[in-house]
Amino acid sequence: MVGLNRNIIRTILIASYIMIVASIIAGISALFSYLNTGADRSTMLHTEIKKVIQYTPKINWAPLVNEGREMDAENLKNLERDYVNAWYVKHIAYKTNTTTGIEDYYTDNARQNIYAIINNNKQQKISVDATTLTHNPELEFFSEDGQLAVITDKNIVEYKQVLQNNKLVLQTTEKATYKTVFLLEDGFWRVRHMVKEKNENFVPKNKPVATDSLHIKGINYYPKDTPWDMFGDQFNKDTIGNDFKIIKEAGLNSVRIFIQYEDFGKANVKKEKLEKLKETLTLAAANNLKVLITLFDFYGDYSVLDWTLNQRHIETIVTAVKNHDALLGWDIKNEPNLDFKSRGKEKVIAWLTTMITQVKALDSKHPITIGWSDTKSATILKDKVDFISFHYYESLNTLTTAIENLRKEVPKKPLVMQEFGISSYSGFWKPFGSSKNDQANYHKKAQELIKTNKLQFMSWTLYDFGSVPKNVVGSLPWRKNPQKRFGFITKKGIKKPSFEFISSAE
Amino acid sequence: MQKNDVAKQTNSEIKLITTQTEFNAGHEIIIQFAINNTFTPLLYCTNSYGSLVIKPTLKNKILFYQIPKIFCKKRGIIYWKLSNTTISGKLNISPIQKVAKMETYIGPPSIEAGRKDYSMLIVIPTDSLDNPLLKNTAVTAKHQFLNQKKNEVIFTKNLISHKKLFSPLKSGRMLVSSECLGENSKEFTVIVYPANPTDFEISAERHHNYADGNQITTFYSSIIKDQQNNIVSDGTYVTFFIKNKKGNTLKTAGTTIKGIATAKMIHPDYETDWSIKAYIDGMAESNTITLSYKQVLKDFDVDFSENNRSITIGPLQSFMQQMIPDGLNITLLVYKNNTLINTEIKTSYNGFVTFTLNTAVYPKDNYTIKISAAGLEKEFKSIHIW
Repeated sequence: MVGLNRNIIRTILIASYIMIVASIIAGISALFSYLNTGADRSTMLHTEIKKVIQYTPKINWAPLVNEGREMDAENLKNLERDYVNAWYVKHIAYKTNTTTGIEDYYTDNARQNIYAIINNNKQQKISVDATTLTHNPELEFFSEDGQLAVITDKNIVEYKQVLQNNKLVLQTTEKATYKTVFLLEDGFWRVRHMVKEKNENFVPKNKPVATDSLHIKGINYYPKDTPWDMFGDQFNKDTIGNDFKIIKEAGLNSVRIFIQYEDFGKANVKKEKLEKLKETLTLAAANNLKVLITLFDFYGDYSVLDWTLNQRHIETIVTAVKNHDALLGWDIKNEPNLDFKSRGKEKVIAWLTTMITQVKALDSKHPITIGWSDTKSATILKDKVDFISFHYYESLNTLTTAIENLRKEVPKKPLVMQEFGISSYSGFWKPFGSSKNDQANYHKKAQELIKTNKLQFMSWTLYDFGSVPKNVVGSLPWRKNPQKRFGFITKKGIKKPSFEFISSAE
Repeated sequence: MQKNDVAKQTNSEIKLITTQTEFNAGHEIIIQFAINNTFTPLLYCTNSYGSLVIKPTLKNKILFYQIPKIFCKKRGIIYWKLSNTTISGKLNISPIQKVAKMETYIGPPSIEAGRKDYSMLIVIPTDSLDNPLLKNTAVTAKHQFLNQKKNEVIFTKNLISHKKLFSPLKSGRMLVSSECLGENSKEFTVIVYPANPTDFEISAERHHNYADGNQITTFYSSIIKDQQNNIVSDGTYVTFFIKNKKGNTLKTAGTTIKGIATAKMIHPDYETDWSIKAYIDGMAESNTITLSYKQVLKDFDVDFSENNRSITIGPLQSFMQQMIPDGLNITLLVYKNNTLINTEIKTSYNGFVTFTLNTAVYPKDNYTIKISAAGLEKEFKSIHIW
């Protein structure tokens, strides 16, 4: 026995010795190989251009019929670039009351006007957070030597938030017309004179979309293996097709899906993502399902200067799918009221208003909604949306009262309970959670209430999930684990008792 | 807003008193409202360059909003909104119709004669507050060329006024100025350059017609002019191409002064004919002239000495039997069994050239030696060198 023990100890010692030596050698060799790598040749001269798109208002040039020299595409491109930059640096200047960048885009004399206003605003602690959404420039004149140009920019839509001592004084949306004289200096088209010729208050007119035929009996959908990452690398047509079949066969008629803003490429929407979105819609159409698309998922900036980028984002997505048969409508944002505290209520509402207008301008056929997280918030912007959506995770006992209150304020528009459900998780992190039978009872009751209250609905959700990303409910296990078990079907594909009550029989 | 203010706001009746909406730049602007309580909303204003808010002073139930000077002095619309109300309005600031500065841009600064090309005069008459003047303000564009003086009235549009200045037939300087509401600009110059050159003639001048490889022949162009008879700009580059009897091309070039280009070429050192033609690249060409050069060296003596290893050529005599000027090229070709083994070139000095054949290069043997000078050639077969 003694001999055996000694041998064991000996083996362990030798083994650990070899391990230590091996790891030291590995460490040193890694260090050596690191020191032996030189700079990548392609980056030696720092010639790469690090350009980030910051500001992309919609620019609609009028046909070129200018006086003077004929304008060519290259010069026009440069003029447009510098003109847009001139607006951008001006917005930044008035937002921060600093002068960075102004001298690049305004001549000596013109910049004095901006400096004077900055000085005034600095003293009075005023800041102006502004953006322009649409420009309609018309080239009036281009000089023979290509050094001077005049444009009239008609009906620019300007949005401004005026703050004093960081408190909102006023929000305004205006339509203005400017004449601008540019000089080409040091390769920059700089503003020499700017004269505002027209200015009026602008209230965008959104046409309501008829929602009489709307009869949503749906479900929130993510594939079971890729929740919150539906259009990623693991995108699989067959999986989605099968799921849509299950949904259709369960008696539902629609799904709600989500488009993550950053994942889709922000202002430059990625083609492959767009293709996957279209394929999803085609699969839905094949199964006779309608799709409610939720835009701007995981987006939380709302800053005024970000709006033009948001505008490009929706422009690409909406124009790509607005004529698809399977499209039900647009949900501008999921639970934006949860950002009121951190981002400011006015800011979020202003953003939502603008985005509604933008989507409506691109697609006048499909209804628009906002997925509010509770019934209290659901009245916000009730006049702008076509149907009211709210999420309901509170006790079902209070649902009827909540609906009654909501109907009082919005009597005419359809109400959609756009998310509701209960987790069947009961375990270490939540010992007294609900069981699968509790979940079934919940949905049974929910369907009854939906019927009595004449609600339209979209439940949460088809599947239990294996993992839930951190940015959905945070990383705390007692929040994350219940979130995984909201499904009607388990991870393994077994229908839970609640599945019986996924829809109501008619 | 505090609760107090909200109460005041909802109870307040505000009425605009100021009726004037048209102002001249620089004029003081105060907007007044009548109010029935002490609610003091801020006034938001926006003009051509930016936005700001103004605090009122309340006196006898009248709210006074003094528009800041920086806004009063810029041309364009001032749009205002009274915060927490729905009252809004517009003011229009007109420039002071008095010129303080004639902002003038002219370009291109040089144009081509011939009434086709033009330069453009752009005038932005501005007032003392740097505002461009109103639309349809008359500007007189003036220009002078030789004994011609012209005034033309143009009108401002799109903040600027502009005029095309077409080139005259003659080259020279065009002086340009402008005038608006009694104010005159300074003087500007547009240079009218001659247009493209037209075809021209060339001539040659030389001291003698012998191919002595020493004297220089000079080529001249005629006075090169454009279509309108303007002498082309000094410095116009003229290239002379010379083709000789052998078909080789020589090239020399010169630039014009007062229309005449001059270029030089050293005489050939053997009898030949030159045909010469000059070009201004892509624009014009000359006629072709021919020159012939006479042989100067009639014959030469070759003297072998020092075991035939020293070869002296000369005297080399020119057309008056004078010793040929230093520098004539003599070529020595050494063959062995009909294969060329070496070529040596030397230039003449005082009418003679001496080649020394080195023992290391040319071991003791029989060689064939050819000597050529000024186009003449002599051959010496089986010269034994030891």
